Amino acid sequence: MKSFARLFRTRLALRSAALTLVAVGLLGALSLIGAMMISERRERNEQHQRLEELLDTVERTVQIACFLDNRDLAAEVASGLLSNGIVGRVRIVQAGSVLLEMGDSSRGSAAALERSVVSPFVANDEVCRIYLTPNAEQIRQSVFEASLFTAILLTLQLIGIGTAVVWVIVRLVTRPIRDVSRRLRELDGESGEKLLVPPGNEQDELGRLVMSVNAMIDRLVSSLRGERELRVRREVEERRFRTIFDNVETGIFEVDGSGRLLSANPAFKGMFGLPTATDLSPGMVRLCDLCELSPAEIGGLLAGCEADRPAQQLEVRLGSAGHSRWIAMLVNVYEPDRYQGVANDVTERHLATQAAEQMALTDPLTGLGNRRGLTRRLEQAVLGLEANPAQRPVLIMLDLDRFKQANDTFGHAMGDRILQHVARLWTELVRDDDFVARLGGDEFVVLLNGPVRRESLERILSRFLELVNMPIPLDAERSARVGASLGIATLGEDAHTPETLLGHADEAMYRAKRAGRNCYRFYADEAG
Amino acid sequence: MKKYPLLLALLILSLSVPASLRAELVVIVHPSAETDQLSRSDLINIFMGRYRKLPSGVAALPVDLGPLRERFYRQLVNKDLAEINSYWARLVFSGQASPPLQLAEEKEMLAYLRRNPGAIGFIDRANVPEDMVVVLAFPDRTPQ
Repeated sequence: MKSFARLFRTRLALRSAALTLVAVGLLGALSLIGAMMISERRERNEQHQRLEELLDTVERTVQIACFLDNRDLAAEVASGLLSNGIVGRVRIVQAGSVLLEMGDSSRGSAAALERSVVSPFVANDEVCRIYLTPNAEQIRQSVFEASLFTAILLTLQLIGIGTAVVWVIVRLVTRPIRDVSRRLRELDGESGEKLLVPPGNEQDELGRLVMSVNAMIDRLVSSLRGERELRVRREVEERRFRTIFDNVETGIFEVDGSGRLLSANPAFKGMFGLPTATDLSPGMVRLCDLCELSPAEIGGLLAGCEADRPAQQLEVRLGSAGHSRWIAMLVNVYEPDRYQGVANDVTERHLATQAAEQMALTDPLTGLGNRRGLTRRLEQAVLGLEANPAQRPVLIMLDLDRFKQANDTFGHAMGDRILQHVARLWTELVRDDDFVARLGGDEFVVLLNGPVRRESLERILSRFLELVNMPIPLDAERSARVGASLGIATLGEDAHTPETLLGHADEAMYRAKRAGRNCYRFYADEAG
Repeated sequence: MKKYPLLLALLILSLSVPASLRAELVVIVHPSAETDQLSRSDLINIFMGRYRKLPSGVAALPVDLGPLRERFYRQLVNKDLAEINSYWARLVFSGQASPPLQLAEEKEMLAYLRRNPGAIGFIDRANVPEDMVVVLAFPDRTPQ
């Protein structure tokens, strides 16, 4: 039953045939009912006719029987009539009394046929009336037989129509459709192969369907071709960009909103010391870790990125002091929660800048700071003092005694050696973060980070005088002797600006010179 | 259908029956039958076997006279002898009715009438004996 339902659903021919059969069957049933009604009426009329004829046949005998009141003769006639199947009952009534009644009174209630019987010898002299009741059973039987015949014919016709419909549909519709469908399945669409119109269907709906399919194949193939060309072009483009991406020296990377790296080119990986084979897709590497920054800083950077705004810039320093590298990054947002950036190694530029800056602040002869370097350092010191008043840096100003004579005696080259020797003495005496500068000629300045206790300061000063007074070996035989006068002023105590500090130290240094040279003087001692 | 032979018969009769044969037929009984008049329909009922008795109550005994038989039945019921014979042929089987006594001679018939009180017969009017009663006279011409 289930498989039949399935068959019904999947077979067009079966469905059409079934619907046709139902329609024909309904019409057939209606016409059968009509035919039965007509045939019943016809049968009734026919029977009536036959009864009339029967009566005609026996009328003479009935006349005689009635004329003579002859019951036997009447019975003879009646049984003769009844022997005919269509007669159900015979009744002969003579002047109000029943002469004879024969037959099955239960056989149907059909209307009786009545005829007046006259005397055989005298016209118009009625001798009796005869009533013939038709056999309803027999009518029914013959109607049934006629209907059965019609029904059988109709059924045969139905079966015939059904078969014809199935055959026609299978032959003209289903099979061609199935063939087309099979060929369509086997078709290699990409090659632009076409369907063949089934022979004989060129002009009809099936032919048009096939032609529509072919037109669609044409359209598909051409759009497929266009698509393929586009893809090839895009692949070339992509290879081009990929080549650039892989080979450019600029680092290119993508991060998400939380600063996790999504992708990066080899240059970027090289810059941050990641193995080239590192797979970034899981998003396990954070930009802040690479840059040695806190997540908040990177978060702030990304938050600053907005479409239609210049890229956010960031310069980070990587590695330890001796091995520092600087990376400059530009970050742009290109999609919500997706950021793209380029990274450039700017170490060389940074170093060059730093070197130039260094050079501008450095005395080339001794490697100490120069006057500009001192000025900057003093400015920083003033700012530092404002931040922390307890610091109190100490400024020592000095120039060498008898340097001019040594210079004249041994020449400029030797004078330069003496200056370099003094510079070395100072750098060895003070801490790394203290500052030593040569302002020009034999004039030096030392800036000690405060606070410095008086005793340790005096110990440094005494040690310097002791060392500077020792003979300075110039070459194998010769050596020079110089001395030094030093003036000391303290920032935050003696002065509050660089200019006054330098002036006070200078003043203290002249006091030392006046006091006979080769000694030191504190500005605070005399001023007080 | 039934009218055709009738018309034909009338035509033949009116044209071919000679005048001598067209003498008047009368129906007679013996006075012992106590009947002096019978209607035409009474005669039909008696001669065709319907009634067994005369109106007077005497049992009826109809007698056919051979030579006049054809004329008599033609005049009584307007039928030929073949029809009358077939009528009786139908009935003899049942045994309930019997045809009139067949006699060939007029004398014989008259003798039978004198012997049997209910006997009834027909005769040419010219030959009616005095001791017989005419109960019905047919008109000269065939009725109708």
